[in-house]
Amino acid sequence: MKTYGSDRGFSGEAFVPKEDDDVIICRCEEITRGEIRKAIYDGMRTISEIRRYLRPGMGPCQGMTCERNVRGILARETGLPLSQIPGYRPRSPQRPVTLAELGNESEEEGGGV
Amino acid sequence: MKRWDLVVIGAGPAGLSAAIEAAEAGMSVIVFDENKKPGGQLFKQIHKFFGSKENHAGVRGIEIGQMLLEKAQKDHIQVELDSAVIGIAKDRSVSVRKDGQTREVQGQNILIAAGASERTLPFPGWTLPGVIGAGAAQTMMNLYGVRPGKKILMIGSGNVGLVVSYQMLQAGCQVAAVVDAAPRIGGYGVHAAKLARNGVPFYLSHTVIRAEGDGAVKSVTIGQVDSSWNIIPGTEKTFDVDTVCMAVGLDPMSQLARMAGALIEEKGGLVPTVDEYGQTSLPGIFAAGDVAGIEEASSAMLNGEIAGLRAAFKSGYIDEETFRTEYKKKKAALGDLRKGTFSPENKGRTDLTLTSEGLPLSENLFEKGFLTDEEVTKYPGVIKKAGVHPVIECTQNIPCNPCQEACAFGCIEVGEDITALPRINPQADCRNCGKCVAMCSGQAIFLVDEEAGCVTIPYEFDPIPEEGEMGTALGRDGSPLGQAEIIKVRKSPAFDHTALVTMRVDKTLAMKARAYSRKTFSE
Amino acid sequence: MEDNRIVHHPILGTYEKGNLVTFTYDGKEMKGYEGEPIAAALLAAGVRIHRYTLRQDKPRGFFCAIGRCTDCVMVVDGKINTRTCITPLREGMVVQTQHGIKA
Repeated sequence: MKTYGSDRGFSGEAFVPKEDDDVIICRCEEITRGEIRKAIYDGMRTISEIRRYLRPGMGPCQGMTCERNVRGILARETGLPLSQIPGYRPRSPQRPVTLAELGNESEEEGGGV
Repeated sequence: MKRWDLVVIGAGPAGLSAAIEAAEAGMSVIVFDENKKPGGQLFKQIHKFFGSKENHAGVRGIEIGQMLLEKAQKDHIQVELDSAVIGIAKDRSVSVRKDGQTREVQGQNILIAAGASERTLPFPGWTLPGVIGAGAAQTMMNLYGVRPGKKILMIGSGNVGLVVSYQMLQAGCQVAAVVDAAPRIGGYGVHAAKLARNGVPFYLSHTVIRAEGDGAVKSVTIGQVDSSWNIIPGTEKTFDVDTVCMAVGLDPMSQLARMAGALIEEKGGLVPTVDEYGQTSLPGIFAAGDVAGIEEASSAMLNGEIAGLRAAFKSGYIDEETFRTEYKKKKAALGDLRKGTFSPENKGRTDLTLTSEGLPLSENLFEKGFLTDEEVTKYPGVIKKAGVHPVIECTQNIPCNPCQEACAFGCIEVGEDITALPRINPQADCRNCGKCVAMCSGQAIFLVDEEAGCVTIPYEFDPIPEEGEMGTALGRDGSPLGQAEIIKVRKSPAFDHTALVTMRVDKTLAMKARAYSRKTFSE
Repeated sequence: MEDNRIVHHPILGTYEKGNLVTFTYDGKEMKGYEGEPIAAALLAAGVRIHRYTLRQDKPRGFFCAIGRCTDCVMVVDGKINTRTCITPLREGMVVQTQHGIKA
């Protein structure tokens, strides 16, 4: 799937705060719409860049709840169609797994998410 | 590493259907599901399904789930529960976690049928306890018998929002409103009509402004939006509710397909690109059900069957002729389900004005959830006739035909095209058997005797009224019309938990009264 | 005690339940059915807040109820981040509101 370069879409004007900027987008990591918009203005142009920058989708749900909304914000801010905005690159494991589980050992106290 | 002819990920309608198809062709099949129970969302679907009679229409989702499980068992399909597939590689090895252990299995073929996740609508206050997904509401009330709240506001008027709102009424909750930013109700008119006649108001072109509460939801404020989605000042409306439920669409769970490196496209969600048999860009890796694109469960089952059939053919378990014949049948059935007012091409359109018969589609039904007394007479399911006869308030082209099968006396015709509006044959003689009323998945069929002022309605609330009791007849919009006396209550295994309640009303109300409230009528 | 249980459902009739068991929620004794998710037992009893978030200290309850969103996590038998919507209730369980990443 094609991604887009930084020369396309988003025009690079100054960040203007909006009324709904404090609405949470990533429920796990408590990242707001404003923080994601700001990240885009700071030069993050793909969902993977935003993820590395802010960690949305890095929480225990692995981006399942916020991916669509983060892509939506990217689309709106950059003016690109949703079809040109790839999702998070899913990583294995797809569910919260303790390190012990991956090592086929019994589960540790306080493990989990 | 253990090898299987087919490894299925997800024991929902698509996965189980594929597994059954493949196992019956002789393949070795294993199904993994991360949940404690198989069936996917089917065991939360307590309503009767739409579609063709041959493909389980008129049967509740829970029963279809049971049927699939019994078949899977009969076919000796190994279904492993509590088993989350956490990774999948191009060489078709699958990592599965169960009981804290991770192991790998190898599939000659793999079917990803992991379903969908619910979309969300972020708004101020949406992280408060009491704001939940529609699926969460279904899980709590239909699986565990716990009401998600006392008073609920539903966001989203697609079929999920409509069906779950109705289920909330059945669970004994109050539904304060159904809200949608779109100008038209997104789901079937018949689903909306069930809510409207029981008093649930619709707010189209409205969105949520905020939910508030100290610790948990206590109220929610909505407002009307203009054509550029901005709130029109002065249109704000606040509801005191303890629960806000979201049904704003589903996202395909394509993560595993992405991880495997399959080609992905945006098709109302990120989905793996599949060929006509459901195979992804990776040979031997298939996708079916919501993973490959959001559709109704009836389509998911057919898509699953096609993928299973294809895998069986490619692996040499069935010959080409068998494959071609079976595929053609399933493809045709799938094509039937993808026609009509809510077909993939028409979904979300706001400019459709006519049915395929050339009749006007009701704007009232799209915007308020009910047909006016005037409009209803324009459709072929509604006739005036002496004595008892069915009145079918089915006015949109929905792929569904069980009503035709239900009547043994030829009163109801749908014909070859299952999206056609049902027509009443005025020559046929209605015997007042009530099967059509109970069979209609949309609860849109009533038996009416205008002269006697008798109206028979499908009734799915608890408790069921008793013969002789007096209550209130409600109109299509839920407004109290007059006194109703319950003169007959019919229950039968054939009606599958839909009671047929006959009420006597004033003659002038026979073509207006479509629901019953146990409250005493007062002027 | 609030009770949100559906006694009889028009389609489903009565629900299959495990044994009635006792557990504690933040030290208070409560009843629920063995095997049902902890979140269902709490909802039935009117408990809506499962945890307070790490960064903003905001209340959260269950959201997806199928083990995906992880909003419903609590401290169960001393173990943090337990997804209460998919963890079956057992006799004597100690369920605590989670604050950030501790009880």
